[in-house]
Amino acid sequence: MLAILQVTLAGLVTGSLYGLLALGIVLVYRTTGILNFAYGTMAAICACFMYILLTGPQLNFWLALALTLLFALLLGMVLERGFARPVLEAPVFTRAIATLALALVLQTIAQQIWPQLASPVHFPTPFEGHAVRIAGLFFSLADATVLTVTILLMVALSFFLTRTRLGIAMRATADGLSAARLMGIPVGRIFLLAWSLSALIAALTGVLLASEQTIIDIQFMDPVLLLAFVGAVLGGLDSLPGALVGGLLIGVADNFLALALAGRSIGVLNVSDPAIREAVIFGGFILVLLLRPQGLLGRAVLRRV
Amino acid sequence: MDAQKTSNDRTSAEARPSVKPDSVPYATWFGALWRYPRAARGWLVAPAVLVLFALLPLIYDQLFGFSSGFELHRVTLIGIFVLAALAQNILTGYAAQPSLGNAAFFGVGGYMLAWLTNDLNQPYWVGIVVAMLVSAVLGVIVGGPALRISGAYLAIATLGLVLLTGSLLNLWDTTAGRQSYDLNTLPPFLTDDHTLYFTVFAVVAVVLFAMYHLLKSRVGRAWIAIRDSESAAAAFGINVTSYKLLAFVVSAILTGLAGALYATWAATATSSMSSPDQTIAFLTMIVIGGQGSIAGSILGAIFVGFLPLLLGQLPSPLILGPVQIQVSTLTTGVYGLLLLLALIFFPTGLSSLIDRGKTLGRHLVQRGGQP
Repeated sequence: MLAILQVTLAGLVTGSLYGLLALGIVLVYRTTGILNFAYGTMAAICACFMYILLTGPQLNFWLALALTLLFALLLGMVLERGFARPVLEAPVFTRAIATLALALVLQTIAQQIWPQLASPVHFPTPFEGHAVRIAGLFFSLADATVLTVTILLMVALSFFLTRTRLGIAMRATADGLSAARLMGIPVGRIFLLAWSLSALIAALTGVLLASEQTIIDIQFMDPVLLLAFVGAVLGGLDSLPGALVGGLLIGVADNFLALALAGRSIGVLNVSDPAIREAVIFGGFILVLLLRPQGLLGRAVLRRV
Repeated sequence: MDAQKTSNDRTSAEARPSVKPDSVPYATWFGALWRYPRAARGWLVAPAVLVLFALLPLIYDQLFGFSSGFELHRVTLIGIFVLAALAQNILTGYAAQPSLGNAAFFGVGGYMLAWLTNDLNQPYWVGIVVAMLVSAVLGVIVGGPALRISGAYLAIATLGLVLLTGSLLNLWDTTAGRQSYDLNTLPPFLTDDHTLYFTVFAVVAVVLFAMYHLLKSRVGRAWIAIRDSESAAAAFGINVTSYKLLAFVVSAILTGLAGALYATWAATATSSMSSPDQTIAFLTMIVIGGQGSIAGSILGAIFVGFLPLLLGQLPSPLILGPVQIQVSTLTTGVYGLLLLLALIFFPTGLSSLIDRGKTLGRHLVQRGGQP
């Protein structure tokens, strides 16, 4: 029983990380229609930037975090103007390929600028080594931070999107681009805002994940990105709370599978390997998509022919 | 060959000038050649290209002497890439399925060949056939769900498939305690550079011939109809489901064959054959070459195949002001950058240049030498 609770807790923590990433992906997809396959690399670059600030000039953790968030905003703006604008008119598939190419380019640039991060290094945080036991459940400070940040971010985001003019303008753009333009909404600025906001979320998630794992290198977000996409699609690519719920589901499922398969093997095949878990989750994902192509919480799309 | 070309009749009617023969510049062989209908021209071009490629090893021996084997090895790789680019073109350029998953078939093809020739001790040709069969089955497995999933979701699902296949193949390697799957029992005619070149070249010629006729047939036309408008195609009585599935299976078989040949070429199969890097290489081939044409696949494969050679000419490390760049690690990054630039500035690809050249040629003939 305790093991199940512990695993659920761990699942919620990793699920929150997947959910945050899924949130950023869906935010950009709903507003600009671009599937950002480069999201993991963006998050990794921001986290690596923070690592450089922490180990080079040895800044205070919170100052480094503030600077990293600023860097993330700038990165989002640069990517929006330099990359997202030219590909906006292209069909869906071309945009998807373009983001894939962008991911590769960003990764190569990061590898050239920061060769010291080519292999995993330790990520220093003030959260290390602190943990509590509540009713027999093991709870680390990093876990608590992840959950707190996720909840705060969701509250702030929903407040922004429902109570502020800019947020409502963003939702309007997501619902219908031409109608929003006709209503006088500065659509270009909304795109800029969407990309910057998603870059911010990416940076936060990258730093949180690095704090959880205490290890960082340039490609540390790659395994997380696929599951984040699966979570985003499960929740329905047009639903922001759906993205978070999808991510949480995937996190919990991943951890439960790890518990169920731990230490077992079929013949000589080590079934507890993460690749098998990935395969099972992916299989389940395809099954859900077949039964409900719009995702669990998405709206069914009517196509005009 | 090209998906956008109209029927033969219009072209030959225009090429036959309505003015007296004397006003056409007979002096130019170019003008004389263009007077023949297109089908006849095709009969001249194809054998000429075949002869050129058959004589290539001799030419290379003259040019490169000692290292001709190495250079020939690279041209063989381009031949293998042509197969893969053709497969990707059929799936995304003709049938318009936004599938990023071909790298999975590539890896599976290579590993099946390695498994059959190494562990199961089967002859080489059995390995190839099984690789193609398994890829076909995998193509059905992927194509089935793909009928219900479309657009963005299909792109995500197929990319996930590639990553997953890479992890599973890696798991296979780790379980068997090896870094990559070496092919140790290749017949001697496949380990020598010259004979390998001829074998791959023969395979590519046969496949190109078959694909050319497939794309010109009812199947190819059905794919083009589906690409242009699925509901209109269905209204015309085209069985959209079976043609989409066929596209997946054909693409899978070709890519599986390409993967098996690649494993033969490199004498090893690695799990990186099924990775996003490989996907980007395939996509670069069709985007730079031009989607929706066989010529585009060939041009794209040549471009991507020669890129490492061009990069290798740069000094390593490359020094741009205060920044030192290790060029050897740049290959995939350059693919990504070129793909990005091509998508933004040059989405129709190199084959569109050929089309423009043909149009210019036609105009030159019609207006008697004046463009």
